[in-house]
Amino acid sequence: MATPPSRRSILSLYSMMLRTSRSFSSYNFRTYFVRRTQDTFRTLQNESDAGKIRSIYSDAVAELAVLRRSAAVNQMYGGWRLAVEDIKKPDAITERGDN
Amino acid sequence: MLSRISRTAVCRTAIKSNAKALAGARRGLVQPSGADRASVVDLPSTYQDESHFTPRSDMLGFKLEMPVREGSVKEKTRPIYLDMQATTPVDPRVLDAMLPYLTDQYGNPHSRTHAYGWEAETAVEDARKHVADLIGADAKDIVFTSGATESNNMAIKGVARFHKEKKRHIITTQTEHKCVLDSCRKLGEEGFDVTYLPVQQNGIVSLEELEAAIRPDTSLVSIMTVNNETGVIQPMKEIGALLRKHRGVYFHTDAAQAVGKIPIDVNEMNIDLMSISGHKLYGPKGIGAAYVRRRPRVRLDPIISGGGQERGLRSGTLSTPLVVGIGAAARIAKMEMARDHKRISELSNRLVQAINSQVEHVVRNGDPNGYPGCVNLSFLIRRRRKSSDGPEGAAEDMAHSSLRFGIGRFTTEAEIDFVVQHIVRTVQKLRDMSPLWEMVQEGIDINTIDWSQSQH
Repeated sequence: MATPPSRRSILSLYSMMLRTSRSFSSYNFRTYFVRRTQDTFRTLQNESDAGKIRSIYSDAVAELAVLRRSAAVNQMYGGWRLAVEDIKKPDAITERGDN
Repeated sequence: MLSRISRTAVCRTAIKSNAKALAGARRGLVQPSGADRASVVDLPSTYQDESHFTPRSDMLGFKLEMPVREGSVKEKTRPIYLDMQATTPVDPRVLDAMLPYLTDQYGNPHSRTHAYGWEAETAVEDARKHVADLIGADAKDIVFTSGATESNNMAIKGVARFHKEKKRHIITTQTEHKCVLDSCRKLGEEGFDVTYLPVQQNGIVSLEELEAAIRPDTSLVSIMTVNNETGVIQPMKEIGALLRKHRGVYFHTDAAQAVGKIPIDVNEMNIDLMSISGHKLYGPKGIGAAYVRRRPRVRLDPIISGGGQERGLRSGTLSTPLVVGIGAAARIAKMEMARDHKRISELSNRLVQAINSQVEHVVRNGDPNGYPGCVNLSFLIRRRRKSSDGPEGAAEDMAHSSLRFGIGRFTTEAEIDFVVQHIVRTVQKLRDMSPLWEMVQEGIDINTIDWSQSQH
């Protein structure tokens, strides 16, 4: 691949990775991969060296396949929602009466 | 076990009627034995039912709710996890690398005669390379074990026992992990001399004391890289350089909490033996690795004897999926180390600053320059009543009112804010009940209190 990936293909890969990352059902994995995808593509945006852009892009393509499979597994085995996910107002925190 | 019996008991009648119907319908060469011939132990009268559970006293009032997968996913919430020193979640990318070896590629990596064995062996050797790359070692120096505990046992007992004819002294520190201390205690029973070095106020071992403890018959020095309770990082490079000056003293380090989190290079640090754990670097449990230097060669007595796998140091068939898991975890750790460390530092500062701004008299245990993912705070809440505590009562108070926060790759800002909010409330509530806190507020220095009077 001699030419760097086009802007359009980068953007389409970004949206696909973001969508896949959001499909994780576990809170911690979901937030991590969303954050990581945004981080990766922000560095890609600021990169001017064509060789580096190509290598980041091809790494991301390989990772998209991994993320898709991982997200599918995670959706099957993901657990309950975490306490932070539906956070209540501070005064609404209930406490056990016996301690 | 009991639950299984009761379940079979329920099914028994159904099977019996089925078996009769089948026997009449068709006769084959192999006759199934009826379920009525199986012996089923009667349930004891005290047996309640499958869902009965007696809470233990160490559950601290937490309720145990068995996760039921179907249906309840939306209804219940789970607590957040901030105990990354105990174990870390398996990274989804690690699981993805492991799955093929848990399903279709099930060959024995030691089988030399067919493709199933070859593909497993290739995968194991790739994983070995990834683990070696993470610590700057050669792939041939890595021995896979069941975990850091086994690696520690293998290294400490192995080196000491191999050199027992001439050398009978080993050195370790008082803050080591239990498996190191217990291996040393065992060697002590076998007639070895063990020196347990104290650490300074900041948790770091003093190089002068270490050098003074070395004897001509010292065979091994074992000092952990990152402490599991306080996150203190020992100066490995300086210790390695110091020990290199003494010929024949091997340097072992328990790096279970360090590998994949801080940069480590076994050559730069002059480490001869190192213990690595898979489940502390987002890999699977049940796998670990030992680094055993080959040049100059470190010789040790293997604990497990058998088919001579892993250079004869750890016989037994390797678990391909677990080895692939630790390999993938090491590869990802190397790739993500800088990014993870930056983020964990940010979260760690956020936690410490938020707690310090809202609660007074909080002491951070350990060295401030330690690993940021391990924050150990003492809250000064209560004094444990115990007949044996003498003048060190105050230090013990600190130990009993301290909390360890483990921050990792998947921790979020929301989780940190959530824990701060709860800690502040809980500490305030406990302090309102504590007589010790009243004394502190009256201006009495707790170190000057004569604890022995309060006993009577």
